[in-house]
Amino acid sequence: MNLAELEQGRRAIIVQIDGDQRYLSRITSIGLNVGCKVEMLQNAKKKPLLIYGRDTMIALNREESKRIKVEVNA
Amino acid sequence: MSRTRTIALLGQPNSGKSTIFNNLTGMHQHVGNWPGKTVEKKEGTFTHGENTYKVADLPGSYSLSANSEEEIVTRDYIAKNDVDLVCVLADASQLERSMYMLADYAGMKTPVMLVLTMMDVAKEKGKKVDVTKLSERLGIEVCSIVAYDRKNYDEFYNSIDRAIQTGKTLQCEELYAFIKNSEIAEIFEEYVGIAKVIASDRRPEEWIAMKLLEGDDAIRMQLAIKGRKDITPAEAGALYVSDARFKWIANVLDGAVEDKKTTAELLTKFDKKAIGPRSGFWVAIGMMIAALMSAMIVASPMMGLGGALPSLLNPLLDSALGGVGVADDIIHFIKATLVTSLGWVVSMVGFIFAMNFVFGILEEVGYMARVSYVFDRSMSRIGLQGKAMMPMIMGFGCTMGSTSGARVIDSYGQRIMTIAVAWAVPCGATFVVIPTLANAFFGGTGGMLVMLLIFVVMFFHIVLTAKVFGRKLNPAEERTGMIMELPPYHKPRWGFIFKNSLMRMWDVFKKAFSIELIVCIVFYFLSYSNSGIEGSVLYKFGTFIEPVSEFFGLRWQTFMAFFAAMLSKEAVLGVLSAIFANSGSVIDTTTGLAATSDNIAQVVAAAIPKAEALAFIIAVTFNIPCLQAVVSTYNETHSAKWTAKIGGYYILTALVLATVVYHVAALFM
Repeated sequence: MNLAELEQGRRAIIVQIDGDQRYLSRITSIGLNVGCKVEMLQNAKKKPLLIYGRDTMIALNREESKRIKVEVNA
Repeated sequence: MSRTRTIALLGQPNSGKSTIFNNLTGMHQHVGNWPGKTVEKKEGTFTHGENTYKVADLPGSYSLSANSEEEIVTRDYIAKNDVDLVCVLADASQLERSMYMLADYAGMKTPVMLVLTMMDVAKEKGKKVDVTKLSERLGIEVCSIVAYDRKNYDEFYNSIDRAIQTGKTLQCEELYAFIKNSEIAEIFEEYVGIAKVIASDRRPEEWIAMKLLEGDDAIRMQLAIKGRKDITPAEAGALYVSDARFKWIANVLDGAVEDKKTTAELLTKFDKKAIGPRSGFWVAIGMMIAALMSAMIVASPMMGLGGALPSLLNPLLDSALGGVGVADDIIHFIKATLVTSLGWVVSMVGFIFAMNFVFGILEEVGYMARVSYVFDRSMSRIGLQGKAMMPMIMGFGCTMGSTSGARVIDSYGQRIMTIAVAWAVPCGATFVVIPTLANAFFGGTGGMLVMLLIFVVMFFHIVLTAKVFGRKLNPAEERTGMIMELPPYHKPRWGFIFKNSLMRMWDVFKKAFSIELIVCIVFYFLSYSNSGIEGSVLYKFGTFIEPVSEFFGLRWQTFMAFFAAMLSKEAVLGVLSAIFANSGSVIDTTTGLAATSDNIAQVVAAAIPKAEALAFIIAVTFNIPCLQAVVSTYNETHSAKWTAKIGGYYILTALVLATVVYHVAALFM
């Protein structure tokens, strides 16, 4: 599933990121790369996503986040 | 032997970079633009021991990719040969993430050191960083620092000197090893070969090859110029590169960072409200009102002083200069220019101090980033950051508030855009002047409708202005969705922010005073007359141009008031009073030396047709707000060009608006 589908309070691990090079370099430079663990702090309709990853809170555009594929930790 | 040493500060947002820059350089700062770029250039100097240092505060971003003009400027700067040392900053409380800048830097051969900030926050989080171990592994100087506390800078100064003397660069073999052991090893080797044609001592081919893997546009363009247009792109290369960088970081940090996981709640109670889907909006509105009110309170002593200066100084001038026989005309000239501009500048810097103080605290505490999140959706539609909402709301109080508040916008281009847009927000003075006129012309209900019209026009003005200025400053095709860290809340350092705001105020005062004085002198001569209004250049110009201005719906009287309103909104009533009620000369009523006639609104209402009045009201509301707004815009943009562009745009749109309103209104009134 993609990151925007991750429910609030759930943890997941990033398994794939799609998009042009520009997006890839932007998203990875803030610390979100494949293998990174994230927790969804807030996933409210029409608002940017709020996740916790690499020791900090990060706000992400909802549309763009659909390019991030995650797997929920078992 | 002493010479000026050049060092550069490089770090991600929230890494404490500006704090360090301010603490290092204090009053010795110079802010301008990079030639030919819409990127802010911040430089300063300091001395330590026998040496003088030139410091560049490089624009902050999360990496050294070529995604923005800012990043390209930064990259070019550190590759230059005259830089003695680059200080890369990293937040010790979240090293893994914030070391990315250093990992991206790795490979560059400009001497570098690592500065760990937020050590106090790291400690609170239960983290301990072994600085010596890090230094050994990286092969460069590493020092830790609490950015806001100047008292602990000694170690930093010493590290800088050692780093410059030894000139060490990062060991990055391990980083390349990760790439060489991955699936894209072959492409990397191929790129290294290609990169040789544009490599330099400080920017070797390996570093360029890494950028090529990321699909870096700027590098591709440089290669294309050298005839290499045939480079096959590496599929998802950026992912491999970032993967290698994070592996490298993990390797470096392994065993050097002790992390006793604390079980603190990720979202504090306040944050649940501050970023809640619904509550966030109301918290932000509350914060804005509180910020506006506290800014007004903080500013009030200085603004009061500025307002009272003429009545304090003018009698003194009368007795002192008059006593020694200086002609009345000269005393009057001094009053109208020197004293007036001094009073204006004093109140202006009072406001700027207050805005810097209040916004400084909100920024430092970490709340500003939350505002960005809350208003991201609405503001991104017009190409602005969510944060831009804050200064724009301040605009209802005072346009100086919105222009100086725009400094919270970290991209220079978007900052200019925010200022341009915020000018369209009618300020507090407008809300005093305009209802008075509107009520006199159109009665109570009509007056309300006029105010409603003003809000409708404001809305469309904002959208249009964002479009016009966005075309160059934040082109639609370059706009990107939000990817932003919301830093943890920090306690505000009152003293530090207070001191910074004071420095800023003094800086503005020096620049603003001379500009305002010159404008006052020019206006003095334009309106000077020894035979009523008819003798002034303004009158002659106004009547000469009347055939044209009538097309806008303004006859010479209203056109002149429109003109004077660019100096101050309050001048509108004053100038009309001078013309229609003969209550003093134009210069005196504009500068407040002569009182406005009490019933001026009624007098004017009888003398000006309604269609012209409505056109005039709209034109004045959406004209250049006032001289102070222009000067503070110049201060924030450091660009006469952009200030002139914004000013010209507002005069033009105000006249277009007046024309439309006049000709439409004339059909009904």
